[in-house]
Amino acid sequence: MTHLTTAHFLFLSAALFIIGMVGVLTRRNVLVIFMSIELMLNAVNVSFIGFAWEQQALTGQVFALFIIALAAAEAVIGLGIIVALSRRLDTVDIDEVRQLRE
Amino acid sequence: MSIQVLVFYLLAIVSIGAAAGVVLARNPVHSAIALMVTFINVAAIYVMLRAEFLAVAQVIVYTGAILVLVVFVLMLVQQQDLPEFHGGRPLRIATGFVLGILLLAEVLAAILTRSLRGQPGPWTPDAVAAVGGNIQAIGRELYSAYTLPIQVTAIVLLMATIGAIFLARPETLAERIAAARRIFTISLGHPKGTDLGPIGELPAPSQAELKPASFTRPLILAKSADEFTEQPAWGEVVRR
Repeated sequence: MTHLTTAHFLFLSAALFIIGMVGVLTRRNVLVIFMSIELMLNAVNVSFIGFAWEQQALTGQVFALFIIALAAAEAVIGLGIIVALSRRLDTVDIDEVRQLRE
Repeated sequence: MSIQVLVFYLLAIVSIGAAAGVVLARNPVHSAIALMVTFINVAAIYVMLRAEFLAVAQVIVYTGAILVLVVFVLMLVQQQDLPEFHGGRPLRIATGFVLGILLLAEVLAAILTRSLRGQPGPWTPDAVAAVGGNIQAIGRELYSAYTLPIQVTAIVLLMATIGAIFLARPETLAERIAAARRIFTISLGHPKGTDLGPIGELPAPSQAELKPASFTRPLILAKSADEFTEQPAWGEVVRR
């Protein structure tokens, strides 16, 4: 591999996505799970932009831009939920949160 | 092996290592710092992919806004280092790693056997340079073919803002009134803020600290007179 191909970027994207997924599956701290989700969104962005680079099209970059905007919205809502959760149940351990109402 | 490939490997290894740090770090603050390293490395990779605008957006939105928000929330929810976050769940951790390795194998197989290639698009590097650069090219694409999605994104962001305000609101009416009273007390009657305790426990403010008594104005818009009966009026101190 003496020059860069799309596969390089796809491998990187896959590795980041899997690491984020393992984080979501194994960690119990809500905030770390949230950060892992951000990591997965970023990995998808790498894929989109890698394909846009390969195809010489800007559609992938436009979609990555939308993903960034939606990630910001998701961050606001997710962190709001985490704050409400810690205020109400006084924990950030996801295993403590197992019922929908008190 | 060209210098470009070497730079890519450097960036990729650092970002993957930092991503592993996000998952493995015991302290969530260390996770946040590792996440920042990952984001900045990924932004550098965007630059290698000729997506300069997205690299800048990545640094501004992710590391500038989202991570600051995460660290603020970390501060708010008063983390203590809970040992049970790591131990005691070997089955779950093993399941997570096995699923991750399985999915990784599948995705790697898919990447290596990929045969579908689309037609190359119109935006060659020369075409992008002809319209003035990456930002101009994205702008043309975004505001011609994706006008409606842009509007919908604006609505989504508005909804997220409203949702955050709703979620952060105190839950009961009494808490809301108490919060409003704290704010009004700081801004109107209390020269030193409320950190020292209720108003009645503080030494009486000197005349210099008070507004002139002749300055009378309705203090607070309350629905009923009972809500704010203990507010100090201008020029006098309420003792409980």
